[in-house]
Amino acid sequence: MRNGFFWIAAAVVGTAVLVLTRVFFTNEYFFFAAYVVLQYVVLSTAWNILGGYTGYTNFGTGAFFALGAYSSVVLHKMPTLLHGSFDLTIPQIPLPIMIVVGGIVSGTVGLGTGYLTLRLRGVFFAIATLALAIVVQTLIVNWDYVGGSRGIYIIRPALAPLGGGYIQYLYTLMMVLAVISVGIARTIERSRLGLGFAAIRDDELAAEAGGVPTLRLKLIATTLSGALMGMAGAPLPYYVTYLDPTSSFNLAYAVNSVAMPVIGGMTSWIGPVIGAILLGTIQQLATVTISSALNLLIVGLLLIGFVIIAPNGIVGLVQARRRARGARMQTQPQAARAA
Amino acid sequence: MTPAPILEVSGVGKRFGGFVALESIDLIIARGERLGLIGPNGSGKSTLVNCLCGTLRNETGRILFDGHPLDGLIAHERTRLGLARSFQLPKPFHTLNLTDNIRVPLLYTVNARPGHRLSDEQVEARCRELLHEVGLGDKARRLPRDLTQVEMRKLELARAVATEPRLLFADEAMAGLSPSEIEEILAVLFRLNEQGITIVLIEHIMRAVMSFSTRLVVLVAGQKIADGAPQEVVRNPEVERAYLGE
Repeated sequence: MRNGFFWIAAAVVGTAVLVLTRVFFTNEYFFFAAYVVLQYVVLSTAWNILGGYTGYTNFGTGAFFALGAYSSVVLHKMPTLLHGSFDLTIPQIPLPIMIVVGGIVSGTVGLGTGYLTLRLRGVFFAIATLALAIVVQTLIVNWDYVGGSRGIYIIRPALAPLGGGYIQYLYTLMMVLAVISVGIARTIERSRLGLGFAAIRDDELAAEAGGVPTLRLKLIATTLSGALMGMAGAPLPYYVTYLDPTSSFNLAYAVNSVAMPVIGGMTSWIGPVIGAILLGTIQQLATVTISSALNLLIVGLLLIGFVIIAPNGIVGLVQARRRARGARMQTQPQAARAA
Repeated sequence: MTPAPILEVSGVGKRFGGFVALESIDLIIARGERLGLIGPNGSGKSTLVNCLCGTLRNETGRILFDGHPLDGLIAHERTRLGLARSFQLPKPFHTLNLTDNIRVPLLYTVNARPGHRLSDEQVEARCRELLHEVGLGDKARRLPRDLTQVEMRKLELARAVATEPRLLFADEAMAGLSPSEIEEILAVLFRLNEQGITIVLIEHIMRAVMSFSTRLVVLVAGQKIADGAPQEVVRNPEVERAYLGE
């Protein structure tokens, strides 16, 4: 399928789901839950661009995500600050702009982190990203303007654009982000860039010997991955309305954004999408039916199960079955001839 | 007048901590030559290749490739200049099929050179051609894990050749292969040399080295101890001592 066609198809599917859910679901809770699932589609797709395509495990999802959220907090308070200090009056900054700014902030941090840490490989890189999350969290905890450790209340605008309630608006924005990030992931996968990423994942020395500028490609991956995570985090203050470091840097974001691609399959764009929808939905169901504390346990058990039974995720299972069938088809005619 | 050499190495040295891996190596490689590089294990052969290809940084010395100084160029930049290598242990891209393995150097090296751009169809055709040349034509859609050891070496060579090099380092391309398999790899190397690629063969298997090389260089403990016609070099008492002891 050609890229242009895929983008159109993704947009059509996204719009169709949006329209159908807006028509058929009147209960606000549905949109609360669906927002989280879509947010995980974005996060795990973003994670997979670095983790799945180039093979660098990032445990710092929480940092990029929260940076997006806190950049929105800063922008949210900007009009008040400007009015108080400089007597300047500007209107409230619209959320889509905040999303773009969140993406730029987290993308820049991604680029910087990449530059500092990409000489590290394997588990050392993973530890460095974990440290990044702690560094950023410490900064936020000590920054009083965005609420520090006690957190901050964000009051949603009274009117939501596009009709419906504010949560429907957030849900719509997240759907757009999900379509964009999946589109980007799939475009990369089929491009020269994706081939270079795969070469780096498989063998960095050999990639370099084949002419792949590994450092530059890895920086592209960290920047893009960070930016998408920041964009996913930008609407968070308006979703939760009370933002504090403990919840916004929650380990669950890091764990989920690793677990979802692993369970879905890391070599293809569809893997993180399947993983996010599956795990995200299970978690949402468990939260209402059993308890919210059970979420990470479910993730942990599924992760262990998949690493043992299907290390290449759901996509890997399907591919293996298809290959086995292909091999049978090839050998059968030969066997027939031999007989 | 003799044509300018393709590679001029002067005073190249490399240490790992207190261990001197290479001590001021001088080496001149002529265009179109088939050079054999031998030496006992740990004598610095692979380190020299790594320094020349940019995988490692030499602390001292200068390398001129076709007149261009290579100082400060990282590995992929040297590859783009026309310096290719195969690895001692094959390093295939194991999640990519054979065609895609070849596609990587085509897209990132050949197409990255100025004034040289293959269309998608040309890339596709070139992948087929290269795999066919090394006898892997019928496995184009297979994954590297389906290959035998000798096929893996061929893939390694095909991937290096795909960069359209002018100088190729074949680092122990034949270790662990059977005599008939060695012949297969040698045939591939001879063919590449006929196409105008200068080849440096780093090898332990003396029969292969002797039949292939027009010149032999011997490294022992990071120093070059002999350089000359193969038959003379193997009779050199110093070389004998290095290989057989006193």
